[in-house]
Amino acid sequence: MHKNTVWELEKAALEIRKNLLELCSREVIHIGGDLSVADIMTVLWQYQIHYDPKNCRDENRDRFVLSKGHASAVVSFNQAAAGCFDKKDVFREYARDNGRFSMHSCNLVNPYIEVSTGSLGHGFPVACGIAQALKMKENRQSRVYVVMGDGEQSEGSIWEAALNSVHFKLGNLVAIIDANGLEADGRIEDLTALGDLAEKYRCFGWRVRELDGHDMAALVREFDALPGADSEIPTVFVCHTIKGKGVPFMENQSQWHTGKITKKQKETAFCELNAAFRRKWGPV
Amino acid sequence: MIKTETPKDMLRDIVGNEMLALGQKDERVVVVNADLMKTSRNQTFVKTYPNRSFNVGIAEAFMVSYAAGLAHEGFIPYVFSMAPFLSMRACEQCRTDVAYGNLDVRLIGTYAGVSGGISGATHWGIEDVGIMRSIPGMTVIEPSDARQASGLLTATLSYKGPVYMRISVEPAARLYQKNESFEIGKAMVLKEGEDGAYICSGAVVWHAVEAAVRIKERYGYDVRVVDMHTIKPIDREAVIAAAGTGAVVAAQDHNVEGGLGNAVAEIIAEEGISCRFDNAGISDCFEAMAHPGFLFHRFGYDTEGLEKRMLARLMAPASAE
Repeated sequence: MHKNTVWELEKAALEIRKNLLELCSREVIHIGGDLSVADIMTVLWQYQIHYDPKNCRDENRDRFVLSKGHASAVVSFNQAAAGCFDKKDVFREYARDNGRFSMHSCNLVNPYIEVSTGSLGHGFPVACGIAQALKMKENRQSRVYVVMGDGEQSEGSIWEAALNSVHFKLGNLVAIIDANGLEADGRIEDLTALGDLAEKYRCFGWRVRELDGHDMAALVREFDALPGADSEIPTVFVCHTIKGKGVPFMENQSQWHTGKITKKQKETAFCELNAAFRRKWGPV
Repeated sequence: MIKTETPKDMLRDIVGNEMLALGQKDERVVVVNADLMKTSRNQTFVKTYPNRSFNVGIAEAFMVSYAAGLAHEGFIPYVFSMAPFLSMRACEQCRTDVAYGNLDVRLIGTYAGVSGGISGATHWGIEDVGIMRSIPGMTVIEPSDARQASGLLTATLSYKGPVYMRISVEPAARLYQKNESFEIGKAMVLKEGEDGAYICSGAVVWHAVEAAVRIKERYGYDVRVVDMHTIKPIDREAVIAAAGTGAVVAAQDHNVEGGLGNAVAEIIAEEGISCRFDNAGISDCFEAMAHPGFLFHRFGYDTEGLEKRMLARLMAPASAE
């Protein structure tokens, strides 16, 4: 790992969070889950994923599927940072009629979206089919990254996919669970407790890594250590995260699943984010 | 006058076996099963092309999403299950993962209508047409005989967008000649007639032909039989022409709500055609386990029932209109 990598990625994640809050001051977005997955998404799109924005149909690209489809804004800002389109496009078109960006991802208007998602429990099984197709095409270099939520783990189709991924030896599949512990109606623990999620996937035969989803160094380390795309065992990262991460008044508050903030709240949030970054890294 | 034989062809055998030819024609063709490979009769493909065959176990929802993933990467998945499981257990997957993406996935549902008979309502596909035709961009097909099943299945190979094909597991009569050609969206007239018209699909078509023959023999009326093998996109012109006879009996082995009859009635109403009309199918109820013949008779879409329905329309006094 290059010594500047973590600093650069944390700086990039800070920028992503500010973009999200700016958008959230203009439109209703799924801000809580966007912020919890912001570090993961930054590492994916600004470090890990092999993807040429100028050739988004390149056969050898990595595939990305957002199974927790409501975190579309954080993907859009990261795809903008990766060069797919201009960040200003996201602000201009988000939630506009026929815009390319909205509450969920839609590939009818946005070619950088592999699979339209929104309804939970769908992206993961579709990603399995994509991973299988790559194996059939003898593509031994592309991986399929699928990002899920932990609330989504209650869907039966998730476990159908968990079972079949191992059966079909989809070693090119990397599942990432943004385990922020909250869903729309409250704490997952109170609604349908998941128990030891990592252990569940381990029992299903997955290669499991459990880590802090806000620890950029750990994320980079684990992505670096992924087995080759031609391996036979799928990997899942169970990433423990905080819903609303980085904005104290939003952290661990299920009411910030979706929402809009005032200008004042935005300014407070920016100050908190900058201060936290300075505390860790010194002046920007 | 056409002459039909006693039903004996098993359409699921025809379709299952035909998969091998499709696989030979196009290497993008793959088959996906959810533990119903044997009953869907596609073992020959699976044995010949094990690397292009996937059996996901009893997980229909996963099966359809997984097929969507394969289609995203350019494959043409033929997905086999029973009509009720495909259209209901995997309904949202058919709609959101397949149709929303306008993917070339072919969903083949056996046990169409009450052909599952003594297996009971859990295994009847009596809502599948209503469900599938309400999904944007989904093409809905129901073949009536072996040659048509084979011809339409082959046509799906070069067809764009998602397709749902429902297949009865009851024996089917031979209705078409060897060199007949079949086009998705183009209805076929099995018997000409200007006094009235049946518009049917699948297993009911043979009964309509028999009923039309009987009516001619006994009453002298010439009743047309339209085989509407593609329920969506429906052949609008064929419906308009049939309605022009003044009496239409639509019939499908399906609930009366949402099936072919509704699609036909919509067109007649939209076109403002004045016409006597009847919609035959399951009368919006569940029924205990029984053989298909009993159920066809019970709900009035066997030969006898269709004959009665048509005669009632042909002989209705003008004041009753």
